[in-house]
Amino acid sequence: MTVSFLIESENVSREKGKTQPLGRRAFLATAAALPSVVSAGPEFSQKTLQVWACGGLAEALIPANRRFREKTGIEIAFTGAFAAALGKSLQGSATTDVFAGRVLALAKKLRATGKMMYFKPLCFTRYVVVTPKGNPAHISDIRDLATPGVRVILAPDASPPGGEAVTGILKKAGIVDQAMKNTVIKGSCVQRTLEDLIAGKGDASVVEFRLTRMPSFQGKVDIIPIPESLFPPGPLTFTIGVMNSAPDKTLAGHFVEFIRSAEGQRFFEAAGFIPAESEEGARLVTKLGVKDV
Amino acid sequence: MSRRAEAAVLGNEFSSKEGVLTLRRWRRIIQIASLAIIGQWSFYGIFRCPFIVPYVSCQNCPVITCHGRIFTMFWGIWLVIPLSVLIFGRAFCGWLCPGGLVTQLFGSIALLKLRTRNVLTRYLPYLKYVGLALALSVWLYFGQPREAVPIRVGSFFPSVALTFEHATPVWLVRTFVVLGFLVLGLLLANVWCRFACPAGGALEIVRKLSLFKIRKNNKCDDCDRCLQVCEMGTRPLEHNCTSCCDCLSVCPQNAIEITGLRRNW
Repeated sequence: MTVSFLIESENVSREKGKTQPLGRRAFLATAAALPSVVSAGPEFSQKTLQVWACGGLAEALIPANRRFREKTGIEIAFTGAFAAALGKSLQGSATTDVFAGRVLALAKKLRATGKMMYFKPLCFTRYVVVTPKGNPAHISDIRDLATPGVRVILAPDASPPGGEAVTGILKKAGIVDQAMKNTVIKGSCVQRTLEDLIAGKGDASVVEFRLTRMPSFQGKVDIIPIPESLFPPGPLTFTIGVMNSAPDKTLAGHFVEFIRSAEGQRFFEAAGFIPAESEEGARLVTKLGVKDV
Repeated sequence: MSRRAEAAVLGNEFSSKEGVLTLRRWRRIIQIASLAIIGQWSFYGIFRCPFIVPYVSCQNCPVITCHGRIFTMFWGIWLVIPLSVLIFGRAFCGWLCPGGLVTQLFGSIALLKLRTRNVLTRYLPYLKYVGLALALSVWLYFGQPREAVPIRVGSFFPSVALTFEHATPVWLVRTFVVLGFLVLGLLLANVWCRFACPAGGALEIVRKLSLFKIRKNNKCDDCDRCLQVCEMGTRPLEHNCTSCCDCLSVCPQNAIEITGLRRNW
């Protein structure tokens, strides 16, 4: 199948109401104007590409995959779930062509064990304090979660990016004990606890910013930034790589390049991530040492 | 339902064999249509729902590809089921439930039909209420914990395999209990629907309030012909009657009838 990968500066269909910070948009527009990363028309030996990714990336990858199919005719068989679980399966007998995972150490482990051919930076996440619309408890800083009487909602039993990471942030902020005392709902699923927050069952929670961009939650919470110095580095990083089991590594590589192109990265920004191919992303790539082994 | 079928609900025309065949054909068509519409959601609930109690937390479930969430079936179904039970009793079980269709198909080849009246078949149906109590307590008291890794996006069967691979023992026990009952249905007909289904238990509680009922009149001589044809191994209006109408034609006394608004009031 012949494929032309012109990375256009055309508008990417995005979900209603999603906006981009101006700085990044300008950067991406500039990047889009650059010559195409892959402009050749190579022949591919398969019509379906298997992509496994961290479930948190689903909101970005679903439209990105659709766009890739529109451009190439290649179907994407996409599986999105907790990256550590998928990584565990991949270290066993499971296979996929492309893997986009959270946590740099997982990508390095897959490289070290010979499962992954190479990986590249994909995007980054960040954490925020969220309150019900109108911020009835007047939260202005994460440390306000320690104020007696503030009703905190957390999901400590959720998968680590939503559970352990948030506990780590509270620890670094020096408020973990008091915030836990203030916790009125301790859930096992971040999305369910966010629903509780919106329903007014609590005054504040700590979640990944990307959750506030989901259609179910968009515009329904107020957002208060958390200083980056409090973020645990592990869950911030997402990488994308080609697996050694991929039958057509050229096709897998083209998909990776599309996702990392300006056009592909816009989907990640729209879903609430910091694209790796942006000024902010470039800073984080250096700071967090996101390099292939 | 056809105009004739609607008329029959009040007029008991289905006491004729022809009428019952028509109705049974309609039931199968409706079951298959229901399977096409809510079957995917139904099977997601068993095999891919990360929660212990499926079908009640769809509004904020992380699994994106489940039809319960995609088409907001969650809200529609939880409106249709209470309405249907108030109008037609447990007709959802007999006419719409995709799981019910599977157990009925298994039941048709089951070794033991259990269409008798004895102590076992009299008291085992009450196990449903144990299942219902367990489900309610996990959902409402224990906060509906998530016990499997949600495969947010993915083809059905590979995702089922991943769900099983990364589920907690609690989720595995819950799922294998359900599957165990379904497989047991090849030995004992409709064992899940008759003795274990928590949803069936909930519907059974309010079934007697329904407007339309299948009942025996005073001509009944307890010959149990109706019991012999009933997939649920029961008799009209007795415990586990799902208003399937299969018994309408078999009564030698013509003692089985559908009573509607006029008769009830």
